[in-house]
Amino acid sequence: MSRKEELLNLLKDKLRGKFLAGSSLEDKRLFIDIKKEALVETASLLMKEGARYQMGVGYEAKKNGQGLAMVHTFAFDADSLLVAIRALTTEDKPEFDSLTPFIPGAGWSEREYIDLLGLHFKNHPNPKRLVLSDDWPEGIYPLRQDVPYDLMPPSAEEVAFRLDEAPPGSSIIPFGPFHACLHEPAHFAVYVDGEEIKGCEYRGFMVHRGIEKLAATELTYNEIPFVAERICGICGSVHSVNYAQAVEAASGLKIPRRAEFIRTIMLEIERLHSHLMWLGVAGHLIGFDTVFMQAWRIREKIMWLAESLTGNRKTYGMVIVGGVRRDIDLTKADLIKKTLSEVEKDMLALEKAIIKDKAIHRRTKGVGYLSREKAVEWNLVGPVARARGLDMDARRDHRYAAYDEVKFDVVVADSSDVWGTLVVRIKEIYEAIKIIHQCLGKLASELQGSPLAIEIEGSIPAGQQGLSVVEAPRGEAVHYVLTGDDNRPERWRVRAPTYPNLQAVPDMLLNNKLADFPIIVGSIDPCISCTDRVAVIDRKTAADRILSRQELEKLSREVRSKT
Amino acid sequence: MWLWNKIKQLAIPSRTGVVTLRYPYKPRPAPAGFRGQPVWDHTKCIGCAGCASNCPARTIFLRDICQEIRILLYDSSRCTYCGRCADLCPEKAITMSENFELATDNRQDITQTIELFMMTCQRCGRCYDLEIKNALDKLQMLGYRYDSLEVRKVIRQSTPELEPEHLEKTATYRRPEKLEKSSCGKD
Repeated sequence: MSRKEELLNLLKDKLRGKFLAGSSLEDKRLFIDIKKEALVETASLLMKEGARYQMGVGYEAKKNGQGLAMVHTFAFDADSLLVAIRALTTEDKPEFDSLTPFIPGAGWSEREYIDLLGLHFKNHPNPKRLVLSDDWPEGIYPLRQDVPYDLMPPSAEEVAFRLDEAPPGSSIIPFGPFHACLHEPAHFAVYVDGEEIKGCEYRGFMVHRGIEKLAATELTYNEIPFVAERICGICGSVHSVNYAQAVEAASGLKIPRRAEFIRTIMLEIERLHSHLMWLGVAGHLIGFDTVFMQAWRIREKIMWLAESLTGNRKTYGMVIVGGVRRDIDLTKADLIKKTLSEVEKDMLALEKAIIKDKAIHRRTKGVGYLSREKAVEWNLVGPVARARGLDMDARRDHRYAAYDEVKFDVVVADSSDVWGTLVVRIKEIYEAIKIIHQCLGKLASELQGSPLAIEIEGSIPAGQQGLSVVEAPRGEAVHYVLTGDDNRPERWRVRAPTYPNLQAVPDMLLNNKLADFPIIVGSIDPCISCTDRVAVIDRKTAADRILSRQELEKLSREVRSKT
Repeated sequence: MWLWNKIKQLAIPSRTGVVTLRYPYKPRPAPAGFRGQPVWDHTKCIGCAGCASNCPARTIFLRDICQEIRILLYDSSRCTYCGRCADLCPEKAITMSENFELATDNRQDITQTIELFMMTCQRCGRCYDLEIKNALDKLQMLGYRYDSLEVRKVIRQSTPELEPEHLEKTATYRRPEKLEKSSCGKD
């Protein structure tokens, strides 16, 4: 009996009448419908079986009796199995039991739907506003279907996010939304006692663009990959591949093998550029700009390579549902090989030159320590988790695209600090080069002349669920697609790797020096745009504000008129 | 050890030399296959609206200003240069050029407008019958689109024939100057 059947039988057995249905199109996925009373019971059963919490998806169910639905997804990494449990509630009493008391990593997923769908979560320890701006009016839930995608409520003055009280004896230092040490808008209220960080509160989601809502109301299946790619300026290809995989899984589409190899190559090229970029940024954050300059010099070759392969430095635009758009022929393959050998040589030289430099060691070793147990508790993913001894990698655990045919090592470190993430990322650069070489070999030898994409025949049936994971440079990205009518998904949910990792940052900061704040936040390679993709309009920030906007405008005008 | 690392760090830049390009002074041509500014070839375009219907960024607009003339407007200010239009064009009338220096303070500089004469075949000069099967039917041209060229908004509706109120809406349309003398004059 496979693990999937085992789980299915276990749940049927324990839940009895509360179990409604279990289905799956693929053998690595399991979609379960349960009654909402059984949500906590099911989740704790799955957690006891060794699951890792991934994300929550809330949506307004059109068909299933005009209610609101909540999906929680779990990963069984050892069995390459993904499980999604779905429960429905009625619109007049939109309440679920919260999973956060025993799965802290579910905290944000639930807070998101308090804001966006008006759900209530019983026993949620911290049901504060997460996604919507402070001046967003009460009672308007952007993901509800009666709210148009371009709704712009008037902005309000004198509303501020209520930050928690600082612990006694400490004072607050605000970082952001715009701060020299942050590369994207986010607000951290850091509690310090002298130089030591005693805690922190995060207020983010300032760069919402409402992409999920847009996809559910305006775009069509094959337009979304190009918008998905723009979720992130760094790991765009991850999101377009992930979305396409989720749709293909939901509709049972089998794409050509050559397309899978090309997708793999592009994902690895993206990992190369992303890790090199992180290395540069990390060097810059600890004041070691030689690393910054050299890493970005090496990275530029990758950017030019991508430009000749796809037609653009960064937004590759290679992926459509059903395959890829451009081929990698033999001349292009030679170009890749040439560039990669240069990059490998340069990278080895750079690694040798910096790896024993005391400046790096002193700024990273023991900094941002988070124990392995905590990492499991927060469901950390990617290099941040691998630096804490967690041997997990979606490329190996949940094989997708062409990763089942390539050999590579999953790099794990056990120092549990920023140094570990640095080592993991540097070593992954060489692994990525290894993977690309293997893919090119396969493309040249076996898959000549195979088509690049298949046409979608007829329309994709509505109401099917698809779940896909891709190991982004920052960790595992998860996409959930529920197919709908009108040639567009009814719900498309994106969970970027920064989403779980960022939730653990307050714990990483604890008892560190304030000067290490930038590199600790930087060590998870935070991608705020990825994380903040859902709501409807951008916000006026009002955290810890003393002046109102009018006052500030008045003041600035007065100053200007004097000069 | 530390000093040895510093020496190695010094050696890297001296070995690589200057890598910065003298870009604005010395042009850097884009590689083959670059996705730059899309260019419409009005002699090839048949007005099927394939590009407009599949543009993820909704930057291509169409409107029939009268029974015979269809206007296609491409507003580059929101274009993401994905090249989907060029992929899908059945007549290969759109090419992604190598032009990427598109910064301008005037939106009109990067806007392209084509006026298409829809009843007579542009290439052979013969009129074709709209009633019987023709190329446009095969491309499932369902009717007319009345996108608002002024506010650059896609209006997703189509009607089988021109209504008087739709004609009224188009009254403010100004003919593009460049194409005044082109072949698609009326009747």
